Parts: sequence; C-alpha cells; structure tokens
Amino acid sequence: MKFKTFAAFVGPSVFMMILFIALPLISVFIQSFQITQPVMQNLEVETCTPGFLTQTCVTELKTVPVIGEDGKTVTTTEWTGLQSYRNVLQMDKVWEAVSAGRLGDILQIDFWKALRFTLMFTLVTLPLVIGVGLLIALTVNNAAKALRGPVIFVSLLPFIITPVIGSLSIYWLFVGDGILTAMMESWSGTNISMFAQAWTIELLMYFYRVWHVAPFAFVIFYAGLQTVNMDTLESAIIDGANRWERLRHVIIPHLMPLIVFIALIHLMDCYRVFDEIIGFRSQAHVISLQWLTVDFLTPDDAGNRAISRAAASAMLTMIGIVFLLIWPLRRTWKDHKGGAH
Amino acid sequence: MMLKKLALAGAVSLMGTGAYAACAFENTVEIKSLSAGFEAWKAVTDAMSECGNVQAELDQEFRTKQPAAFEANPSLYHIGGVSNGTVTPLLNAGTIRPLDDLVAKYGGHLQPNQLIKIDGKIMAVAMMVNTQHLMYREDILSDLGIATPTTWDEVYAAAAKIKEAGVAEVPLGATMKSGWNLAQEMVNMLPGHGGKFFNDDNTPAVNSDEGMAALATLKAALEFTDPEVLVSDSTYVQQQFQQGKIAMANLWASRAGAMNDEAESQVVGKVKMAAAPMAVAGGAPATTLWWDGIVIAKNITDEEADAAFRVAMEGLDEEMVKANNDAAIWLVKGYVPGPLAEGAIATATANPPAPAYPSTTRMGLMHTALGNELPAFLTGDRDAAATLVAIEEAYITAAKEAGVLE
Amino acid sequence: MSSVSRALRQPFGLRFASGAFLAFWCLLAAFPIVWIAVMSIKSPRDAFASSPWDVIVGPATLARGEGLSILDIVLGLVVLYFAIRWAFTRLPGLVMQYSPPSLIVLGWLVGAAVYALVFLLVFFGLLPLILGALNSVLGPLGEPVLGLTTQHYVAVWGENEFYRNFLNSLFVTAGVVTVSLTVGTLAGYGLARSGSDLAFWLLIAALVFRALPHSVLVAGYLPWFINSAEILRPIFGDLSPTLYGQPWAVIAVMVSINQPFTIWMLRSFFQNIPSELDEAARVDGCSHFQAFRRVIMPVMWPGVITTGLFAFLLAYNDFLVTSLLLDAQNQTMVPAIAGYFNRETTTTDQVEAVAAAVSITAPLFLLVMVFQRQIVSGLTAGAVKG
Repeated sequence: MKFKTFAAFVGPSVFMMILFIALPLISVFIQSFQITQPVMQNLEVETCTPGFLTQTCVTELKTVPVIGEDGKTVTTTEWTGLQSYRNVLQMDKVWEAVSAGRLGDILQIDFWKALRFTLMFTLVTLPLVIGVGLLIALTVNNAAKALRGPVIFVSLLPFIITPVIGSLSIYWLFVGDGILTAMMESWSGTNISMFAQAWTIELLMYFYRVWHVAPFAFVIFYAGLQTVNMDTLESAIIDGANRWERLRHVIIPHLMPLIVFIALIHLMDCYRVFDEIIGFRSQAHVISLQWLTVDFLTPDDAGNRAISRAAASAMLTMIGIVFLLIWPLRRTWKDHKGGAH
Repeated sequence: MMLKKLALAGAVSLMGTGAYAACAFENTVEIKSLSAGFEAWKAVTDAMSECGNVQAELDQEFRTKQPAAFEANPSLYHIGGVSNGTVTPLLNAGTIRPLDDLVAKYGGHLQPNQLIKIDGKIMAVAMMVNTQHLMYREDILSDLGIATPTTWDEVYAAAAKIKEAGVAEVPLGATMKSGWNLAQEMVNMLPGHGGKFFNDDNTPAVNSDEGMAALATLKAALEFTDPEVLVSDSTYVQQQFQQGKIAMANLWASRAGAMNDEAESQVVGKVKMAAAPMAVAGGAPATTLWWDGIVIAKNITDEEADAAFRVAMEGLDEEMVKANNDAAIWLVKGYVPGPLAEGAIATATANPPAPAYPSTTRMGLMHTALGNELPAFLTGDRDAAATLVAIEEAYITAAKEAGVLE
Repeated sequence: MSSVSRALRQPFGLRFASGAFLAFWCLLAAFPIVWIAVMSIKSPRDAFASSPWDVIVGPATLARGEGLSILDIVLGLVVLYFAIRWAFTRLPGLVMQYSPPSLIVLGWLVGAAVYALVFLLVFFGLLPLILGALNSVLGPLGEPVLGLTTQHYVAVWGENEFYRNFLNSLFVTAGVVTVSLTVGTLAGYGLARSGSDLAFWLLIAALVFRALPHSVLVAGYLPWFINSAEILRPIFGDLSPTLYGQPWAVIAVMVSINQPFTIWMLRSFFQNIPSELDEAARVDGCSHFQAFRRVIMPVMWPGVITTGLFAFLLAYNDFLVTSLLLDAQNQTMVPAIAGYFNRETTTTDQVEAVAAAVSITAPLFLLVMVFQRQIVSGLTAGAVKG
C-alpha cells in the first residue's frame, strides 16, 4: 500500500487521536515541569455572614489573588524542573525510612501507598481473570447446546452493567448490615464489618474486578474454543494424551494469542483502577494511582487544584504502564515482523 | 423567647400576603442558573422557573464547573448557587458582581441578615443556613435518665451508658467518611478547643496542644461508633438513624427533616435536636455555620443581570418559603421554625456563637490536607504527633504550589 | 472414530463438577443485578432493611397495600418465560426474514425496539389490567403477599423526566458508535494491509494512549471547552461555538478515547480476511478504496458489529466524560443517576437511583440478547488475534 493511500485510510483516526489525546498528553507533560500560580496579595477584608437573625462581621487578613486590568487573575508560570515529581515521590522520606530500617513507613506516603495497591491489584486480578474466564468458557463449551444461549447471556451481565452501578450494588450487599454481611455474621457468629479494615475492602475490590471482567475474558476464550482444530485434538487422543494434557498442549497454545490480548487489555485497565476506590469508598485504607491524580485535580471549596502534582503523578502512571506493557508488546512486534504485509 | 418572636414574625407575615401568585412579572430574558442539587435548591429554582425563560441546572459537579463557567466571557450562567465555601473561588477571580444597586431596586423584601457583605459591598444573597448539631433519640436518653449532653465529654459519657445498656446498636453516629467529611470534623473540633489553623503569615499552626486535644476528642468517638465509620457520610448516618440503629450523632441540620419522613424513617417523632456539643465547657459549640445563597455573574450585560436578579428574588420570596417550610432553615422572611430547627437555632445563638466556616484559599488547602492525612490516625497507622506533622507538611507542599506560601 | 468419541465423553464426576461450577457462576453473575432490581420495587424502608427476607417480601410496602398476589406472580413468571424464550428462538428468524440482507444491523435494531415496546405494553399495560380483574374475583389467592411498588419508576420517568436523559444517551451513544466505526474501520483496514513500521508504531502509540488515565485528559478539556467561543472567535468569528454542553463535542471526545481499542480490534479482524480478496479486486482495476467498498465491506460485518458493541458499552456506560462536559439539558443517564447520590441525598433518592439504574440496564439486556450470536461469531472470525 502506498503511503498516500495509507494516510488517507488512517488519517481521520490519527487526527482525532492527536487532537484529543496526544495534544493534551503533551500539555500534561509540560505542566509536570511547570508551576502556574496566581500572584497573591494580603488584604484586610471585612466579611459579614448570617448568624440567625443577626449578622456576624469579621475583619481578617486574607490572601487573595491579584486581578489584572483585563478582569482575569494575574498568574505567573515558572519552570521548576523535577520539583513536582519530588513532591509526589517524596524520595527524602523514602530514604529516611530505608536508612532507619522501617520499610513500612514508605507505605504511608500517598504515592507509594497507591503504587503498592495498584500493582498488587493488577497482578492479583490478572491470573484470576484469565483463569476464571477460561474456566467459564470451558464449562459453557461443555454444557448442553440448548443451555448455552441463556448461560452466555447471564454470564455477560457483570460485564455489560454500568460500572458505577455494578460496584454500588456490590457495596450495598456488604456495607453495614448488608444482607451478605448479615449472612456471614449468622454463619460465623461474630460481628463482621467488611469496610472497617483495609484487607477486607481490598478483597472485595479484587472480587468485584474479577466479577466484572471475567465475562469479557470468557466470551473471547469461548470464541477461541470454537476454532480449536479438531484434527489436532483427535490425534492427541490417539497418542493417548489425557484430558489435562490435551488442555495444556493443544487448547492453551491455541488460545495463547487471546490470552496475550486479554492480558494486555487487562493490564492497561487495571492499572487505571479508579471506579472501585469511589464505589467502595476505600480512600481511608487503600488508594490507587489514578485516584491520586484525580484527587490532585479535584478543586477544593476554595477552588484550588494541584495541577502540577497531578501532571507529575499522571506521567509517573504512564511510565508504569509502559513498563508493564513491554512483555506483551514484544510479542506483538514479533507477530508484526513475521505476520501481515 | 427567640422562638416565640420568630413564630410571631412568621404569623404576621402570613397574614400580610394574599393569594398565591406564581411570579410577579413576565421574564423575557434567557436566564441560566447553576447550583447544587439538594432539596432547597430544587424549591428555589422551581420558583424561579415560574417566571419563564429560566433554565436551572442542578449539577453535582457544580464545584468544578462553576469557577470556569463564570470566568468565560460571556459567562455561561447568570445566576450561581453558592455556599460560603464555594463562593470563595468566584470572589477570588472577581467573576461575580456587587449587588448593591440591584438590592436597592428589587430587594426590598430581603432581611438585612441575608446580605453577604464583603468589604461593605453586597456580593451574595443568602437564603438558608446549615450547621452540624446534636441529634439524639429522646426516648433512649430519657429512659436511661441522661440529660441532653452539651459537651463532647458528656456525649461520650452518655454514649458509654447507652452502650452499657445495649439499647442501640450504634451509640454514636459520626460523619467521618475519609476526605471532606472527616476533615470537617477536625475543622469543628480544633477551633472548639481554642486552637487555630494558621499563623498570620499563612504557615500552619495545627501542631499544637489544642491540635493534640482535638485529635484525642475525635479518636475517643471511635469507641462508640460503627466500625465502618470511615466510609460513613451524612446519608449513611441518616439512614442508620432512620433505621433506629443510632442513638446520637452530630449531624447536618438539613438532615433533620428526614427523621420524620414517614416513608423512610422508623423513628418518627423520637429524634430531638440540640445545640452542637462544646469541645470545652463554656466555649463555642464545636461546629461551623454555613450559608447557601445566590450570586450574579459579572461577565453578562446589565439587562441580563437585572432580569437574573429579579428572577432570583422571585425564587427567594415568601411564597416559596411557605410552600417548602421544612426543606431548610431559611433566612427568608416568612419562615416558621419548627421543632426540627431548634438545634440549629440554639447553635447559632449560643454565646459565644459557633463561627462561620472560614472559607479562604488557605483553608481550602488545609481542608484537603486534613482529609488526606487524618484517616491514617484513626485507623491507628500513625500516632497523633506524627499526624499533625504530616498535616502541616501536606499543607505546606500544597500552599507553596498554590502561591500562598513562599 | 468410535474410540475418539468415547474418549471425548466425560466421566460423570467431571460433567457434574463442570455443571455445578457453571450454575454457581451464573448465580454469582446474576445475583447483584437481580438484587438491585428487587430493591427498586420496594419502599425505601424495605429496600434498605437488614434482613434479606424483609427486602424480598417487603412488609412496609405491603402495609401500604401495594403488592402482588400468588396469581400475579405465577402468571407474570409464565409470561416472562415465554417472552424471553420467544426472543431467543423466534425473533432472530423473523428479523432475518423481513429485513433486507444489506441492512441486517438496522433490521436487528428495529426488531429489538419493536420487541421492547410490545413487551412493555403487554407486561405493564395489559397484564395488570387482566390481573386486577382476576384478583378481585379470586379472593384469598388474589390477596397481595409480596410487596411491590412502581412508585420509584413513576417518579424517575415521570417527575424527574428521565426520558430526556434517555434520549440524550441514545443520541450520544448512536453518534459514538457510528463515527467510531466509520473512522475506525478505515484505519483498521489501512493498518492491517500496510506492513510498514510506521503502521506498527502507530498501533503502539495508540496502545499507550489507551493506557492514559482518562480523568487527566477530561479535566484538561474543561477550560478549553468552556472558553472555546472566545478562543475560536479570531478564526470563525461570531459563529464559533461553546463546546461545553454540546453532545457532538462529547461524541468527538469519546470517539477519540475509544479509537485505540477500535482500531486494534478491527485491524486484527481485517488481518484475518485473506488479502488475496482485495488483491484480486485490485488486479481487476479497482483502487484501494473501491476494493474496500466492493470486496471488504460485504464481509466485514461480524467484526464491525462486535467492535461496535464495545463502543456502545463505552459510550452508554460513560460517567467521567459526560458528567464533566455536558450541561443539564444534555445530560445522559449515568451522570443523572449519580446525581441522586450527591451530598444532600435521602433514602428515597437512593431507591429512585436504583430504579433508574435498573431501567438503564434493560436496553443493555436487550442488546446482548439480540447480538449475542454476533458477538461470538464476530470474535470467532478473528477480531481478537492479539
């Protein structure tokens, strides 16, 4: 294909991605090395606010931004190098903890706390999603033909349901005396609070993610199983391979590209974990990298947002993703070199 | 005494008005408003819409959108619904206009108490107040012979008795969801103990004896609260209250109405309101006063501002208040405070009174720092002294980035 | 041959274990969704009751005289069973029969919409009428035993005008799916047929883009969108639009965010269509575009439908982009539901939110029911070769 034709085909897609993803990405990259702040002044301000029936007036020194002649706040932008990264990473505290031998203290720093959870979340759910997905695919493939339609339909439900609603529905089952907690309490005879400590919340989050994504893995594996080469399977049987060996040596290798595909998608989605933090209100105990970024970006009541630190934390998240993706991407590169032309 | 006066004022104004009129004038200018979405705003914006050509947006993302939308030229909205917290970014950016001339023209019916003045200029018109105060199950407390607690020590003593008697699943409810809610508890407690958040040069001052005392008071609550208190927001506490699980809580006044909602509540008529408990005897109630009200954008034409203000005044008139008397603790003429408002009024009229929430740029930064650093203290991961240090460090980093500190 | 089939036959233990696991999984998959559906038809007191039995039976709801009798339940289940069965067995045949082969996707959508409408009319219009008459005749059998109220649905769809959000969602979703597929199919085809390294690096870049946290992007758009009229004035004059609140601007954003996934899926799908096909067309004198239109387009639908479904899910379920970039007039359903959960919310609001949540899940049900076969066949045809 000539370059011109190629450009015509991919042009619209590339244009949209540049406009809405690449340009913002570049601006985030630049912002992570800058600090833009309003020029502040100290003013004596008298504020009168309602009590009940009478007003209370206070005069106090307030630090307020200077407003320029065009009616907008005057801001200055400075290049600060790696300062924002330093603020996010807090390496001095990390070294302090290391040299004092208290490694647990590192996990009290927001970024490292978030990184610990994000990595663990990604790496724990990955094999679970692939395993559960494969198991469902194999059992569905094993079920009677008449049952398959409805079973596939039910299996897909957790995947299609709106994430905000899915996580909330599970939260309600467990929070306080939610019915499942109440059930566990009556079995065990003790008072259980699922949202009172970190590990139970984490467990619920793992469970939710696997519940939500396993159907995606399932439907892809199920499609893959439909194309397993029956000849290979039969010759394996004639060679005396048992069920397990057939699964291991025929079916899994056949599904390998799909496993890589799911791993790729799952790594990316999991590393951005955010919905679960909000849905399960786990901020007190566990936070994720994207939550940290959003938290920096969310304006407080006075309208402040930590844009530079948010940019730095977003860039650090990106770097992490690229590391995680190196392995699956090398496979794609090999496929590309050996594959289509 | 105060109540009687108020009731009288209400009754007089009731007689004064005639039949119900939807809107006093026909609005022909396209007006848009952006506010939060709770019950009182629904009532006010519905009343504004009666004038025609009003598009009211009740948006839970209004905090994020409002500063940017008012900064656009022309402003995307004419009327903004703000609280004393969220008005700060608009004041700082100078995107709302002084209302003195408009109030003189159309605001004859406003109470002087409603006019929010900054340096003598009217910048907003308040419509209601809100505060956290003590709600308690009157039946439980009187059964156990406990007098209404007035200080946090008494609250904890009462909670201990309730726990011992085993009459409530959760003796004490608390809105300590990590983040904004938990930080708000500290904002109540530290000044309550006589502490302050800042020195005059904007450096933090929480690492003090008062800070330690405030943290100790906060943590003492955990003995009596639900183990999942760090995920409890006001809706959750309200629900537990309605289900009869909670005996006492320091909860928002705007939640009081829900206790007597037949459709939701199992404790109708059993919950009473009292002033917010004091942190130290003889001090101010350990809480803050909030108001909600309207502002008018600067980047619009004078005609639009004129129409917008008139429409807003229609939304804040007596008829609206009479139709929605229990939706909020209104500041508008015509409000008749019911028993549910007792606690809030007692809090606001205490001597010394509870302070208004000190909304400033630095307070916003401090609020965030508190919200992020306090959970580790309450889960036991960090002791009080280290927590205060961590709060100060988090604040200093943010303040330097925002330009508040050098 | 017989030895092979005997070897493939499974011992009872394995079959039982496999069946049991599947049953367990189905329970796990459906339970939370069924549960919120149950909550949505109870009074607030019942919906958040701590005993599961209270939630199911709904004493407070019954006390208000709203409920179902045994007869209602039995008849309702029977109608439901046949309705679902019919959707799986007869509906596909009818659609195949009546829609022209080239417009099969449209045929399916129309079929699904008609089916949904008829179902709603029968189940919520006709059935209650008949049952109301029957219940009053039957005496004890007609006494309500199971609390059920539709008040929350009435409140959501009536008072809160949720249909407006529904229409907005429909518009945004349809826009995202159409544009996303149009742009993505072209790009996917181009990437599949070009073996150049540029194509590979484009794909990798797209993949890294997909990994970006969306919140960072979206928060970055907001000031530009709000001020776009001012920014664009030098170029477009007074015609320059304010992008904030415009559904089509949101469509553009979501299409872009979804592009990486779309082109990955479609590229692998096109790679599985033998390139001999379009090469033959090219030998006959077609340009690349003509070859694409005449030879590839007729065979690409399974893959496109599957990819389209993923685009649909993304757009329909989106919260982050729509909540921040749309104003109330153009608000879609998910942010509208989240609005019920703001700081000042009541238990009634929450149950209404649950009712709204269940309502927005219904179209998803229908869609999956209809397109289930296409998803599997599309994926089988190779839309997912890594």
